[in-house]
Amino acid sequence: MTRSFLELSQLTTRFGDTLALDNVSLNVTQGEVVCLIGPSGCGKSTLLRSVNWLQPPDAGSVWLDNRPVGQIPETGGKRAHWRNPDLARQRAKMGMVFQNFNVWPHLSVLENIVRAQMVVLKRPRAEAETRARALLDEVGLGDRADYWPDDLSGGQKQRVAIARSLAMDPVLMLLDEPTSALDPELVSDVLGVLKTLAQRGMTMLIVTHELGFAAQVADRIVFMESGRIVEMGPPADLLEAPTTDRLRRFLDQLSTLNPFADAPHAPSAVATGA
Amino acid sequence: MGLDFSIFIDYGPRLLLGFWLTIKIVVLALLLGLPLGVIMALGRRSRLRTIRFAATAYVELFRNTPFMIQVFLIYYVLPFYGIRLPAEQVGVLALAAFGSAYFAEVIRAGIEAVPKGQFESARSIGMTDAQAMKNIILPQTLPIILPPLGNQTLSLVKESAILSTITVQEMTMTAIRVQGETFRPFEAFIFIALLYWALNETIATGLRAWERRLARRGKRPANASASVMGRLKGSMGR
Repeated sequence: MTRSFLELSQLTTRFGDTLALDNVSLNVTQGEVVCLIGPSGCGKSTLLRSVNWLQPPDAGSVWLDNRPVGQIPETGGKRAHWRNPDLARQRAKMGMVFQNFNVWPHLSVLENIVRAQMVVLKRPRAEAETRARALLDEVGLGDRADYWPDDLSGGQKQRVAIARSLAMDPVLMLLDEPTSALDPELVSDVLGVLKTLAQRGMTMLIVTHELGFAAQVADRIVFMESGRIVEMGPPADLLEAPTTDRLRRFLDQLSTLNPFADAPHAPSAVATGA
Repeated sequence: MGLDFSIFIDYGPRLLLGFWLTIKIVVLALLLGLPLGVIMALGRRSRLRTIRFAATAYVELFRNTPFMIQVFLIYYVLPFYGIRLPAEQVGVLALAAFGSAYFAEVIRAGIEAVPKGQFESARSIGMTDAQAMKNIILPQTLPIILPPLGNQTLSLVKESAILSTITVQEMTMTAIRVQGETFRPFEAFIFIALLYWALNETIATGLRAWERRLARRGKRPANASASVMGRLKGSMGR
């Protein structure tokens, strides 16, 4: 049986009484950029965090490049959880970028990018440093190698985090609202780096509220609500001609927040002072 | 009652020898107790219920019983099981066990104070739990746990006086002997009180300097070594 490059199959996750993921399946092909959108609490972040088993689902399976992640599904509904090193090896193939960066404050910018290469990939220090400096140049931080993360702006921290992930030569990048915690003027630097990455053919799964960015970069947009995928398709179809009421409502809500968006409700929102 | 200074001259060397043994015992107890504390802290966070229970039982046992009773138990009970150790070694073991229970709680609290996102970024990049703990989490606990670990070290120095009850020839035992021979308790005990104070004041000053260095770190260019042991060695060498 051939599987998709990334295959999420029937993922279900419960947080107490709420269903964060309700039997969600999603296939992603190599080189595809998929943006996950939806109201907060819709399960999009939970879905992203299931992919590398940071939030292990209660049921379902994840396959990356024809290998399972996190667990091997067994017959009879039983699941054998992986030993930690096996899971770590699969995770190393997936870069993850967080909303609040999670750079390591006790390590210099350079060491943030060097450490995992040495610890996980067993690269010699010289090689790891060469790679780290090249990546810092790429994300526009070549002159910040010896800084402490605390002395950087949010946008710079996020670019360090992206470089740190790329140093592991991932086959898939998972981005969880990468620009949500940034001041507006810093957003474009980070989005620029991500666009370049997409153009180079990196497979990416991006949770985002930046619909403009999603429209530019995504091959496919997935709209989620209440733990389910409601609608998905190419950005042009999905954003301009939503087929479900729920997506239409969601897009309207977003555009009322942005008075400059050319959506039907925007002018009235400005007029009423919303 | 005036001070008889001749006591200091005649018995000073003996008391200093006791002081030296006190220092040796405390240093050995720290070298043993700190790693044990890390192990117990990690044990209390284990996914395995048995390990969690064992570590918790250990910590609670040594935290909630008097140190003197622990010393007696180890000193008088071990021989029944055929283990005969010199009093000094029993002293080191007892002090290490007692200290490690407190160290464990401090280290555990330190680990819990590190934001969850730090574990997540370490795991998501492919580190095993052990690699994440060693490279990312424990080094970050250092500035958090240093002040309480320091306090605990100071109290270990003071608790070591209890070891006089099992004939360890440390400073307090020596002072008791000296006052027995000279009938000059004031001279003997003021002498060692000053030495205890000097030792703890030195430790406290060193720790404050180390804390300041850690706090300053955010303002200087980084250097590469950052594991807990790396920082320990680095700052001790300076």
